[in-house]
Amino acid sequence: MNRRNALRRTALLAGSAVAAPTLLSLLQSCKEQKRVDWVPQFLNQEQAVFVSSFVDTILPKTETPGALDVKVDIFMDLMYAKTYDENGQKYVVEEIDKFNANCKDEYGDVFANLSTEDKTAVLKKAEAETAKFNPGVWGTAVGEQKPVGFYRQLKSMALWAYFSSEEVGKNILSYDPIPGAYLGCIPLSDVGNTWSL
Amino acid sequence: MANFNIDAKQDMTYDAIVIGSGISGGWAAKELCEKGLKTLVLERGRIVEHVTDYPTMTLDPWDTELRGSLTPEQKAKHPKGIRSGFIGANNEHFHANDVENPYTEVKPFLWVRAHQMGGRSLLWGKQCYRWSDLDFEANLKDGHGVDWPIRYNDLAPWYTHVEKFAGISGEALGLPQLPDSHFLPPMELNCVEKHVKERIEKEYNGRNMIIGRVAHLTEPINGRGKCQFRNRCDRGCPYGAYFSSNAVTLPAANATGNLTIRPFSIAQSIIYDDESGKATGVRIIDSETGEFMEYHAKIIFCNASTLSSTQILMNSTSDRHPNGLGNASGELGHNLMDHTYRVGAMGKVPGFEDQYYKGRRPNGIYIPRYYNLDEQTKTDNFVRGFGFQGSGGRAGWGAGSNQENFGADFKDGLMKPGPWEFFITGFAECLPNHENKVYLNKEVLDKWGQPTLSIDAEWGENELAMNKQIRKDAKEMLERAGLQDITDFDNEHEMGYGIHEMGTARMGRDPKTSVLNGNNQVHGANNVFVTDGACMTSSSCVNPSLTYMALTARAANFAVSELKKNNL
Repeated sequence: MNRRNALRRTALLAGSAVAAPTLLSLLQSCKEQKRVDWVPQFLNQEQAVFVSSFVDTILPKTETPGALDVKVDIFMDLMYAKTYDENGQKYVVEEIDKFNANCKDEYGDVFANLSTEDKTAVLKKAEAETAKFNPGVWGTAVGEQKPVGFYRQLKSMALWAYFSSEEVGKNILSYDPIPGAYLGCIPLSDVGNTWSL
Repeated sequence: MANFNIDAKQDMTYDAIVIGSGISGGWAAKELCEKGLKTLVLERGRIVEHVTDYPTMTLDPWDTELRGSLTPEQKAKHPKGIRSGFIGANNEHFHANDVENPYTEVKPFLWVRAHQMGGRSLLWGKQCYRWSDLDFEANLKDGHGVDWPIRYNDLAPWYTHVEKFAGISGEALGLPQLPDSHFLPPMELNCVEKHVKERIEKEYNGRNMIIGRVAHLTEPINGRGKCQFRNRCDRGCPYGAYFSSNAVTLPAANATGNLTIRPFSIAQSIIYDDESGKATGVRIIDSETGEFMEYHAKIIFCNASTLSSTQILMNSTSDRHPNGLGNASGELGHNLMDHTYRVGAMGKVPGFEDQYYKGRRPNGIYIPRYYNLDEQTKTDNFVRGFGFQGSGGRAGWGAGSNQENFGADFKDGLMKPGPWEFFITGFAECLPNHENKVYLNKEVLDKWGQPTLSIDAEWGENELAMNKQIRKDAKEMLERAGLQDITDFDNEHEMGYGIHEMGTARMGRDPKTSVLNGNNQVHGANNVFVTDGACMTSSSCVNPSLTYMALTARAANFAVSELKKNNL
């Protein structure tokens, strides 16, 4: 068995381990709502729990840190608080609530409380239904960009928040702030991972 | 009458005044100071000292709270400029405030401005190409616009002069339509660019692909360091490796002891003396106090940037020049040009998965013009031509947004570089068209109560015909070069996006049809010179800044020699 499959199996096991307390909280109905252990600046508790759970599902911990290890959820809350205008903020709140409402309709609970299988099903459906980003040249998308919808915006922001974090940028990706020269053709093995900058 | 004003008047009198400190203003200051003239540079914005005033130059994304994102308050200052896609938190402080400096888009037009010492020389793309006689003779040959009063040979020594001091890296090609510069060693193409180059040059007789020619040092010169390949140029370069006024021309001017820079000085108009037929100075508004002041000089170089220089000339009315300085022809404000941009194609290049590169090269590839060079390359679809710029590289983690995947393998997969991608976009020449114009708008005033500009310009049939050809050719070239998943595109965009605005105070042979003569002197005000983009008689398809530098050095040399002969 190759290493990648081994990793996948471990992840699945980790997933089912998480499922047990979730089931428990379902049984206890809404008495013990999940809470994040940080203080959101913009989101309410339920929305913050959603963002945490979402980014953890997209970018879980493996041999490398997961989204929560580098505080992607906390950073996204900060982005909503400080870089979104009023309309943007309103949109985020409405879309998170809508996303959770859909989860409740289809699977009986908000996203964070779903089983790994159900979360996977929800995200797979969102992937298929949401438009993609057009490729970009020099800072703008080429062609007429269809609205990508909330799911892809969220996923894209999670990736950015993760890969632009100090831990990933300096210690996981290949980091070289002052290259000093341009070498146009070198073996990838000399570099390792993607350049972080 | 009391003579209490004499001392003050002396303090306010110089041999030369240069309006603006951007790419061309910096050159005017350097050349005039080095020739011994006490020179005052009027800069409408603040002082930006090389290195010390580059606050973001070494910041990694995680070094700032918002990792380079703009706040709504920052965005609100740039409602127009933000359309360019080039404004981020790391360079926002180098972009002008659109609210304090409004302009009116009669037709959509993007006007990107940078109001500080150094101007847009802190933000430019640094692509530097000599124009050729194909460009200087084009108006005469096909009848669009008026004839340039100069030819390539008039400018060639001045290209060399500025190239040697600015430092242009590139590869000599020996093409008549793209004369070689005085080059520093070229930057390197990466393996995919080398591959595409080979394929294109094999598939198409007479098409070339080269590394871009850029104002970046690949070897140290004059105490400036070489490029470190950080690609953080728009934050200011601590090594002085790329050409900016702040790092190159203004320090040279300052070293002579002849330079004075007055910041926060908005040039309101040029003062003209009807009796002597000469300009005597510049009227400014102190942008901080709102106070009007006058500075005097024997010669004045107007280098405020294309549209701002024209605005100043329009504000400069007198009995002799009732419709603006040098506007007897009625051409002042007309013939606004730019380059088309963002039409092209992109695709993936299979193979080379085990190859990568090191360094963030602030430069791409260039495909010189190949239409209408001679009888063989002539087309009936349009006059003149276009070139391409672009680059190749490997996709990064951003590609993950579009992948229908998530979870553990997805995350770890994004740590490795994605497929090789390559793109090209065309830059087409824009014809001088009298109907493309700017004029003073007295209904909309800026923060200082001054009339603003209305911009009324749009692409013509010839430019749109070239855009069609660009799209077609780009797709075909990438196909024949073996690319896959090719997307061709025409991001229909208004003028201004190229940030190559040219014209509106053109040079010419005849005062009846032009604003400036062959030495960049204003008709009817011989001691006023305009040598920024406003002076351009046509637009070529290659980037214009190097030509502004050469024209400025040439005009400054002429101005000083005329001054010595008492002709000004």
